[in-house]
Amino acid sequence: MNVLRLAAILIVAALFAVAGCGDDDDDGGGSGASDSQAVTESRAQGDVTWCIGKDTTGAFTTVIDNFNKANPDANVELLELPESADDQRRLQIQRLRAESAQCDVLGVDVIWTAEYAAQNWLLDVSDAIERQADAFIPSTLETAKYEDKYWAFPFNTNAGFIYWRTGQDGGPKPASWEQMYQQAGDASGFIYQGARYEGLTVNFLELLYSAGGTVVDEGGSEATADSEEVRNVLTFMRDGIDSGDVPKAVTTYMEEESRRAFEGGRATYMRNWPYAYALGKDSQIADSFDVTTFPPYEGNPGAGVLGGYNLAISAFSENPEGSLAFIEFAVEPGQQEIQATEASLPAVVSEVYDMPSVKKALPFATDLRDAVEQAQPRPVSPVYPQISEAIYTNVYAALQGDKSPDQAAQDMNADIQDALETF
Amino acid sequence: MEASTARLGRRWSRGGRRYGTGERRLARAMLAPSLIVMALVAAYPIGYAIWLSLNEYSVRVPGLSRFAGFDNYSEAFSSPEFWDAVTVTFLFTVISVGIELAVGLGMALAMHEAFKGRGLLRTVVLVPWAVLTVVSAITWRTIFEPNLGLAPQVLSALGLPGADVVWLGETGWSMAVMVLADVWKTAPFMALLLLAGLQVIPNDVYDAAKVDGATTLQRFRRITLPLLAPAILVALIFRTLDALRIFDLPYVLTRGANDTTTLSLLSYQELTTNRLIGYGSALSVLTFAIVMGVSFLYIRLVGGNIRSLVADER
Repeated sequence: MNVLRLAAILIVAALFAVAGCGDDDDDGGGSGASDSQAVTESRAQGDVTWCIGKDTTGAFTTVIDNFNKANPDANVELLELPESADDQRRLQIQRLRAESAQCDVLGVDVIWTAEYAAQNWLLDVSDAIERQADAFIPSTLETAKYEDKYWAFPFNTNAGFIYWRTGQDGGPKPASWEQMYQQAGDASGFIYQGARYEGLTVNFLELLYSAGGTVVDEGGSEATADSEEVRNVLTFMRDGIDSGDVPKAVTTYMEEESRRAFEGGRATYMRNWPYAYALGKDSQIADSFDVTTFPPYEGNPGAGVLGGYNLAISAFSENPEGSLAFIEFAVEPGQQEIQATEASLPAVVSEVYDMPSVKKALPFATDLRDAVEQAQPRPVSPVYPQISEAIYTNVYAALQGDKSPDQAAQDMNADIQDALETF
Repeated sequence: MEASTARLGRRWSRGGRRYGTGERRLARAMLAPSLIVMALVAAYPIGYAIWLSLNEYSVRVPGLSRFAGFDNYSEAFSSPEFWDAVTVTFLFTVISVGIELAVGLGMALAMHEAFKGRGLLRTVVLVPWAVLTVVSAITWRTIFEPNLGLAPQVLSALGLPGADVVWLGETGWSMAVMVLADVWKTAPFMALLLLAGLQVIPNDVYDAAKVDGATTLQRFRRITLPLLAPAILVALIFRTLDALRIFDLPYVLTRGANDTTTLSLLSYQELTTNRLIGYGSALSVLTFAIVMGVSFLYIRLVGGNIRSLVADER
């Protein structure tokens, strides 16, 4: 009797376990819009809900207030998603798959834009973009493009920087990646984001783009990672760890760990996003560090990888015109200035970087614009998550010495090809 | 404990017979709502997950799907990632649950003794259990942060080796930290379950054994352990099933690096990150099957023991 009851309890417990797993992803099929739809005209009226990550600085609310004040017929509301990008994507996809009209405007990480567009979850905004394409920094527009159409407006952008310690225990301004590694080895090392996650993909691609390499061909159908450039970069990164120029600890570092180690005086050079600047100026090393754009690698000018968020309109929105009006407002120079000064979010409109208020908040604003202009998007593909996984797992294996650079390059190529051939 | 509930159950059912079948019908009717809710909440999603696992859903063409039969399963069985995850999951389960049982038993025995402040200790000891796993995982990640974390700082202050070890960057150590974090959190839970078991063992048995001249060790081996067996079994089952589904710890501590990708983490990666709904669901269903299999194994292997124990007690 007891055993039977125990069995019943176990079965129920196990059922709940698997229910928890399966529940997350609902039916992918369904009717779904078979053709993509476009929105061309904006009209500032009606209710609009903006679903974007947590408004940590209050800058998103400021833009909404400004818009609502200027447009009495419209009412924009903020629906805050979690701070973590993974969670934002999960919650957005949950709503989109359910064809929910709850979110009108979506804050979409640049790497999700192609994926959402491929699923017909976004409205085509090509007409609206082309009316003012000149205003945007060209590289940022590339992240919103999929199959020759624009599916979103760039909202904020991002590019990596080299931070370096000046003064007594510092080093010289890096003249090239190779030289910086060497100088780091003589001082306290160079750190970056080397944990097995998206950040490692970015760190790897920055070197690879500088070396002139790619991981996917232009058409997005062939993997191109089994190349000399990939081997070269993997060898360079691996040698950095073997020689001690780069501490082994980077294999556990994400952005925050790197920043803490740099501010704690544990490294002479660091690769990180611009957000670390303001925080660094509040830390014990406030007066003894500086930032610069990526130095040349292999004799080529340094190239970055674009980050940031785009604003897209959900295909299930009941107010596309009102949504478009709000997005067009949010990317106006005046509003972009607020994002830059209040939230340190780099603007997508070139002229903002020349504004005195922005230069005051981000003293390296001109460098930042240069960095964004020279940066390239990550592979624009509906299977980007798998491509990135193929990159970071193999780079990580090479860093750990589990695979030779040659083997890692071959495996990366095969894994990316698999990803591209996903049903 | 088991015996008394069983007796109670029989008394109830005898009572039921006296009131006739109408009473039973009423019982069924009153149970029906919860059974229906259970079916909706648990059975439907499971059936649905199984259905999803037999299909493939395109990640590039909207709304396109095709029936795949058992393709997703054969893909899992032929993928080294799946078998690695199975190995890692079982390794973690065996090590962590084993240590938790030992530590939990020790804690339970200590808390069973009568001493001042026992009530307070019993409450305090549960604190780790009350902390959310994600929160405790983030704490452990910070503790083992290279150079700046508490662990390397303490080790280097004491001049002990290991201050320079990148704990979460090495294959063996990553698993060790994961086990440590799990033991810290769940050993108190184990202890509490075992303590409940200890408290129903009548003192007369111990007194009689003492009169017969049994040593402390003999009393532990011959009285405590056998009479505690049902509680141990329940605690083991709870913890094993939990450990087999572990997700938060590897997700936060290592993101699955250095051989810490468990089955749940792999399913999450394929299902949520890569949006491979068919394949990801197949992995979930396989996890479910493994958990079910282990539960039945427990029942078959040790279920008989409970029955005989209960019989003995009577």
